[in-house]
Amino acid sequence: METISSATWQALQLLLSGDTALWEIILISFRVSILAILLATPPALLMAFMLAFGQFPGRRLLIAIVNTALAIPAVVIGLTLYLLLSRSGPLGEWRLLFTQTAMVLGQIALAFPLLVAMAHTALQAADRRAWETARMLGASRLRAVWTLMYEVRFGLMSALLASFGRIIAEVGASMMLGGNILHYTRNIPTAIALETSKGEFAQGIALGLVLLLLAFALNLLLHYFQGKGQIAA
Amino acid sequence: MNELIFHQLSKHYGKRCLFTELTLPLIAGQCLLLTGKNGAGKSTLMRILAGLDKPDQGEIQADGKRYSWRAYRPQLQRQILYLHQQPYLFEGSVWDNLAYALTRGLPRSEQHQQIEAIADWAGLTALLMNPAKRLSGGEAQRLAMARALLRKPRALLLDEPTANMDQAARLLTLEMLEDLKRQGLRLMVASHDPDWFQAVTNQHLAL
Ligand SMILES: Nc1ncnc2c1ncn2[C@@H]1O[C@H](COP(=O)(O)OP(=O)(O)O)[C@@H](O)[C@H]1O
Ligand SMILES: [Mg+2]
Repeated sequence: METISSATWQALQLLLSGDTALWEIILISFRVSILAILLATPPALLMAFMLAFGQFPGRRLLIAIVNTALAIPAVVIGLTLYLLLSRSGPLGEWRLLFTQTAMVLGQIALAFPLLVAMAHTALQAADRRAWETARMLGASRLRAVWTLMYEVRFGLMSALLASFGRIIAEVGASMMLGGNILHYTRNIPTAIALETSKGEFAQGIALGLVLLLLAFALNLLLHYFQGKGQIAA
Repeated sequence: MNELIFHQLSKHYGKRCLFTELTLPLIAGQCLLLTGKNGAGKSTLMRILAGLDKPDQGEIQADGKRYSWRAYRPQLQRQILYLHQQPYLFEGSVWDNLAYALTRGLPRSEQHQQIEAIADWAGLTALLMNPAKRLSGGEAQRLAMARALLRKPRALLLDEPTANMDQAARLLTLEMLEDLKRQGLRLMVASHDPDWFQAVTNQHLAL
């Protein structure tokens, strides 16, 4: 019991004193996950748009595939990318394994289906009259798309936040693809896993607190956006 | 010249025929009243005229030439504006909604002048900075009308415009319709409550 309370005390000190090793890990986590979301969002939005409004053969199949992809565990995605990127794998020549780029790729693969599924739901709730009105008032297709996205922006924000929450706290893929290298690919979840297995609780608890705080903030925002979305609808 | 006549319009859903071989002229400065029970096909007909929904068949006689509905659809979408029964107003203020309809790249002073003029005409001047989604039924309908007019259409089709209005708002709408007729616009009004529009009606079509 004493170890836990003293470790927690140490953890708070680490956080508040701006411990560089600790904050470096936090920075890496955010950099990788934000980059992954930024890269995944445009194609995900495009696909959600096609699923919501497009009429093409295989649309239903594609929706089923996206929903299935949602249920794939992170470690399986990690394993698949690992096999692709490993020395003897088909993409081995890119030398990406155990780099931040590999982690970004893994997190994109994790975020993409969730982004598509949630953005699809948000866009489906959009009113057909919004599109028709925009077009009747002379908007180009592109501007009408933009208008429609703006009308459902709270739903789209929820998709971004939920996806970010999913990837920033995820251990399996990051561990396998990044390799948990200090100063480089060690992020919050892999550091927690490593420090804990070494019996070093203070840093683990500190990083856990960061994730907890983040989850809290994300949930507050989600709640806010979902409430907004309902009022607007 | 300057004619706009639909010929041989037909539409069915499943086994049900809404109208067949309909001829329908839209005459400058006149108002056509479209009546019929709920589900008779009033909205569908108007949406076809505005190029939003496809007819089974149909032709358009415009400015001395005859076109198929398909070939003329882009022009229909530009020239004939349909106002939904519940107008859709975008996020933002009344001003933003009016500005949306203006051609991009218009000089700012020109923009302001056009918006202020149409807002004045529609009695929306005091509401310009209000959020559009909070307007009353009558105000929303007037904003939708004003916004559509900024596109300078040849025809305006109003779907049950007085459905969500009180007495005063209805009278105001009638006055606005009269004024539009004087300006030479082609009007069409769908209503299941035709008495209201007798005063502005030139032709009557019952579905
Ligand atoms: N997309 C559609 N698919 C099948 N039936 C439709 C569709 N749109 C409208 N209908 C049917 O066509 C009929 C006419 O509808 P509508 O034009 O809205 O009538 P009104 O405006 O006169 O009340 C209704 O019976 C409606 O159910
Ligand atoms: Mg109707």
